[in-house]
Parts: sequence; C-alpha cells; structure tokens
Amino acid sequence: MWMYEKRLQFPVNIKKPCPKTASLIISQFGGPDGELAASMRYLSQRYSMPCKEVGGLLTDIGTEELAHLEMICAIIYQLTKNLTTEQAKTAGFDAYYIDHTTALWPAAAAGIPFNACEFQSKGDAITDLHEDLAAEQKARTTYDNLIRIIDDPDVREPLKFLRAREVVHFQRFGEALEKIKSNLDEKNFYFFNPEFDKRFVKTQ
Amino acid sequence: MQTADRSSLLKQINEISFTVNDLTLYLDTHPLDTDALDAFTQAMAQRKQLLDTFAKEFEPLTANCVCPDTNNQTASNTKYPGKCHFTWSDGPLPWDNEGGAI
Repeated sequence: MWMYEKRLQFPVNIKKPCPKTASLIISQFGGPDGELAASMRYLSQRYSMPCKEVGGLLTDIGTEELAHLEMICAIIYQLTKNLTTEQAKTAGFDAYYIDHTTALWPAAAAGIPFNACEFQSKGDAITDLHEDLAAEQKARTTYDNLIRIIDDPDVREPLKFLRAREVVHFQRFGEALEKIKSNLDEKNFYFFNPEFDKRFVKTQ
Repeated sequence: MQTADRSSLLKQINEISFTVNDLTLYLDTHPLDTDALDAFTQAMAQRKQLLDTFAKEFEPLTANCVCPDTNNQTASNTKYPGKCHFTWSDGPLPWDNEGGAI
C-alpha cells in the first residue's frame, strides 16, 4: 500500500524553458538506467528475497525512486512549458513533440520507449543485488553525463541531489549483499541460489 | 508575505523529511544503531509537528492531515474560501512552480 505526499522530495523551480535539455533528461524517466526502471526493478525483486531486511530495503528504495521519477518529470514539464511553435521545432525535441505534444511519456533520450527488458528480476538474491549495485552506478554515470553538459543552475541542483542519492543507495545495497552473504555458507556464496536452494540458507 | 511563509515552512518539511528518509534506509541495514534510532525518533516527531502546522495554515500534504474544520486557515490557493470542503484539493500541484508549489 502506498500513500501520496503532495510535495517533491527536492524542489524543482526552473524559470527558463529548454526543450533540448528536456529531450536529454527524459532518459532518467524512461531510459535504460532511469528512475522508472529503478523503481520497478526493486519493487519486483523484493517478494522472493530470502532475507526480510533486504525485502524491506528494496521496498524503501523502490519507493524513493518513485519520488525521483516525479522530480525528473517535474523538470521535463517545466523545461517544456509554454513553448512557442519555433521552440517545439527544436532539434531533438521535435519528433517527441509530434507524438506527445508536451505530455510526459517514458522513453530514452534516443527515443526508445520504456521497456521492462531494461531491468532484471532474476530470483537469485546475489545476482539481483549485484544488478542493483550496477544499476545505481549506471544511473550515477548518466547524471554525471547530464550535469557535465547542462549549465542552468535551476536544472543542475535537482540533478546533483539525485546523483548523490544514487551513491547512498549503492552503499545500502552493498550492506544488503553482505547481510545475505552472512546467512550463507562462506564456502559457497556463488554456488547456490539462496532464493531457491533454501537448504543452504542459515536459519535466522 | 504569506507565500514566503509557505515556502519556508515547506523547505523545513523537505529537510526534516529528507532526514527521516535517509535514516530509514540506514536503519534498514543497521537496525540496532541507537544513535540513529534517537535521531530518527526526534526527526519523525519534528516532521509530524511541521506537517500539522502546514496543514493548519495551508493545504494538507498527506491524506492523514486532511481535516476540513482546521485545514488551510489562511484560505490560500482554494476554490472554496470560507466553505467546508475537501481540503485535499487545495494548494498547488507539486510540479506547478508557477502556481506557487515552491
């Protein structure tokens, strides 16, 4: 169950529209390392996690990713508000405008629609947590790439906040991996699947 | 003046909620850390108080804070000033910076 809180996790207040920037940032909405994929990845993986603390962590991080998705969408919305016809023709945004006007639709910067193949839910705690660690780093790199080429401080500040959260989530997933490993026989961490071959998981 | 009060109160809510959120993730992997537990308890109490104050002055930010009799006493950003109504729809949507969300 979820309840909505009517505020952004970090304020977004962009005064100058820029459809070109919006067409790049949209990757963090529906792209391969975006917030939608992040949230769906963690919220899908959590059910079969053999360790309840890790299932709880996936719930909390998966929930925070929804708040990040909302911030990214607010950035895109504000960057494409009140556009003139000339601005709608901006290279890179023009093709998106034809199909979606200025509505929000999850896609990558290169135009590829959001797709569940962008994340995995493999049903093996060790495998999934490694995927999660990699996902946080890939999202961090994407934020690095955006921050490197965007000058407007109103856009940079929320992106810097989101980048920092990737680093924190990486840390927490690293701790979760250690927690799972501490419930396994140290001689065979990578030999059995703790979500399926349950006899190898120590009873807590 | 009223807008400035709203922004500064919202900023305090954002900051204390961030503290609660970050401590939640930390406590998920360190459930016995007593310093973090104390910080969590303190921040959560402060957050609840700020959310109540905000709902009383302006719109409720969560459904838990909806109370038509006491919400939005400044009648800010509402279609129904002075009328008993569902206050959940008062205030700007969070992404509407021009509508006063910030």
